[in-house]
Amino acid sequence: MTYTTGMDPKEPIPVSLFFTCLADAFSPGVCGATVEVLERFGATVRVPLSQTCCGQPAFNSGNRKEARAMARKFLRSFPDDGYIVTPSGSCAAMVKHGYPVLFRDEPRMLARARAVGERIYELSQFLVDVLGVTDPKSDFSGKVTYHDSCHLRRGLGVVEAPRKLLRAVPGVEFVEMEESDRCCGFGGVFSVKYPQISCKMTERKVERILATGASYVTSGDLGCLLNIGGLISRIGYPVKAIHLAEILAGKTAGRWDAG
Amino acid sequence: MELDANAFGRSARKALLDKTLQEALGRTTGRFVAHRDAAVAAFPEFEATRERASRIKRDVLDHLDTYLARFIGEAEKRGAIVHVARDPAQAREIAARIARDEGVTLAVKSKSMAAEEISFNEALQGAGVTVVESDLGEFIIQLAGEAPSHIIAPAVHKTREEISRLFERHLGEPRTDSIPELVGMARKHLRAKFLSAGMGVSGGNFLAADTGSVVLVTNEGNGRMGTVLPRVHLAVVGIEKIIPRMADLPTFLRLLPRSTSGQTISSYVSILTGTRRPGDPEGPERMHILLLDCGRSAILEGKYREILKCIRCAACLNACPVYQSVGGHAYGWVYSGPIGAVLTPLLVGLPEAAALPDASTLCGACADVCPVKIPLPDFLLELRSDAREQGLKTPGEIAAMKGYAGVMKRAGLLEAIERIAGVLGQFFTKGKGIGGMPYPFSGWTERRDFPAPAARPFRKRWKIKRGVMR
Repeated sequence: MTYTTGMDPKEPIPVSLFFTCLADAFSPGVCGATVEVLERFGATVRVPLSQTCCGQPAFNSGNRKEARAMARKFLRSFPDDGYIVTPSGSCAAMVKHGYPVLFRDEPRMLARARAVGERIYELSQFLVDVLGVTDPKSDFSGKVTYHDSCHLRRGLGVVEAPRKLLRAVPGVEFVEMEESDRCCGFGGVFSVKYPQISCKMTERKVERILATGASYVTSGDLGCLLNIGGLISRIGYPVKAIHLAEILAGKTAGRWDAG
Repeated sequence: MELDANAFGRSARKALLDKTLQEALGRTTGRFVAHRDAAVAAFPEFEATRERASRIKRDVLDHLDTYLARFIGEAEKRGAIVHVARDPAQAREIAARIARDEGVTLAVKSKSMAAEEISFNEALQGAGVTVVESDLGEFIIQLAGEAPSHIIAPAVHKTREEISRLFERHLGEPRTDSIPELVGMARKHLRAKFLSAGMGVSGGNFLAADTGSVVLVTNEGNGRMGTVLPRVHLAVVGIEKIIPRMADLPTFLRLLPRSTSGQTISSYVSILTGTRRPGDPEGPERMHILLLDCGRSAILEGKYREILKCIRCAACLNACPVYQSVGGHAYGWVYSGPIGAVLTPLLVGLPEAAALPDASTLCGACADVCPVKIPLPDFLLELRSDAREQGLKTPGEIAAMKGYAGVMKRAGLLEAIERIAGVLGQFFTKGKGIGGMPYPFSGWTERRDFPAPAARPFRKRWKIKRGVMR
């Protein structure tokens, strides 16, 4: 199903927004920006309000009992049809690849998890691969570099989509950093269990970002951005960590500023 | 080798502060990664070859008993004596007995991680045998009294200045910063040992079941000299190193040097088949092959079977940002990096090494480069889950997880907590990042800010703007 860019499609495209607990609590603007971009390209956005967390922190730390409970809740919260889109490669990868592991001994849940996994997309992946967007119609301007979040790149195999979108924004001067695919050191529970190693990795990431001279570093995962942004704000470097959705939304992101 | 895997956190912090180590790590892992990437890029059949290698290894593991029997039969037919050790203690016993029975007092050894696993040198020293490491890197760390910190570059953590100091102290050589001169000093010293050693000890990269051959892949030539000059050759090899046919060897030789050092082929590939036959110009009169089970057949029966496909190329170490940051010693045993984080708990028991599976961000760089497609991140996750099931998690972590899962059960409860946190967060931080968090997040905020929760979470914003039902 591919829709022509820039034209209002005849059929509305039903999309359920999986806004992620992290963005909900720490960067609600990212969720709003995601809504703006999806609607710009003809999606009818639904927000299942009973959603909470996909369970990734529990799964990644080996606490599968708790992760399974959250996964069940997630599967109950989302409707049985239509696309599910999320501004997080990591959370999408959790549903797609983590849930089948959690439910490997429960055939019925496994089938359900797999079916949902087929319908879930990270934002840039959905825009480029499903909607066929080539011009994001964003008025954002600035020099931008892109950090490949590990789970978006290696988990979902999304490498080019965010770059294509960034390059297509007229006001964006896109510049690649070295080692863009090297982990920023976040790793969820890893950054809590081994903060010194985590920081060492973040410092190297920030060095690479600064070397580009970009004013913004963007990514498809808020976890990486909170981590990278946390180091940037501590030192006061002249660069801002900003989510890809916010760049794509441009000024329309401001509609959700009601904080 | 002594086990100290659960001290990973402490050892890692020490490593992060070690300037010399940091410099050496940055230089060498960077070089390994660049060379490996270039070699793979110049080899279009890489994907197809690793797929084939993975299939061959899977077949080996599915029929390991059959292939082992075949290997033992073929090797013995050609004059080798094959021993199988159930555990490290038995392996040490067998090794010491071989040395005693063969009347050996000096042995030259080329590098072998399997030998490290069983503390081979200590076993032979206990039997009155002097063991001299002949791999340059191993020679250096033997002088320093240290353990290898990398599978194929054991002295990767040492700078040339440190090495020159060691050579001055132990070999009486003058100080130099010329690498060729340092190599020359080691060679001169080792040459004499090669000529007088009664036994050469090696590991083995592959064991060909259809010919009973031990295959050595090396760069320095010490492996070949040590296995053909002395009267006795002892190879110490894990049982999983079997390949079904000699004809499978090229598949692995295309992958191993490229993944290891970026070479298309290593300087030496030695195929050692049986003892010296009448008319052979060289070769050992006696050949012993010590096969190590040492936990492998237990791994074979469980969900981690594919870890035994490993060909010890070290590509996962070089690619791992955690290994790059802390080096090999922090992992506290023979194997380090992602392969060590999985293999160590499986070989020594999870309670002894539960800290290791946590030593990863799950970034997946290791799985990307593995030439035999071992799903390392999946195994790390699986081990973390095993740790919970075996009661190895702290009560604090479990309580935190239960609390967090409890909140996530109800969106209303989550929203209420978010809003309280938002109000408090905004009040105390004025919208800026949080500079100091209580334990267990205090480490996070040592050098980074933690984001302040938003005053109004998205769920609330959506309800206000679009209504509940939309």
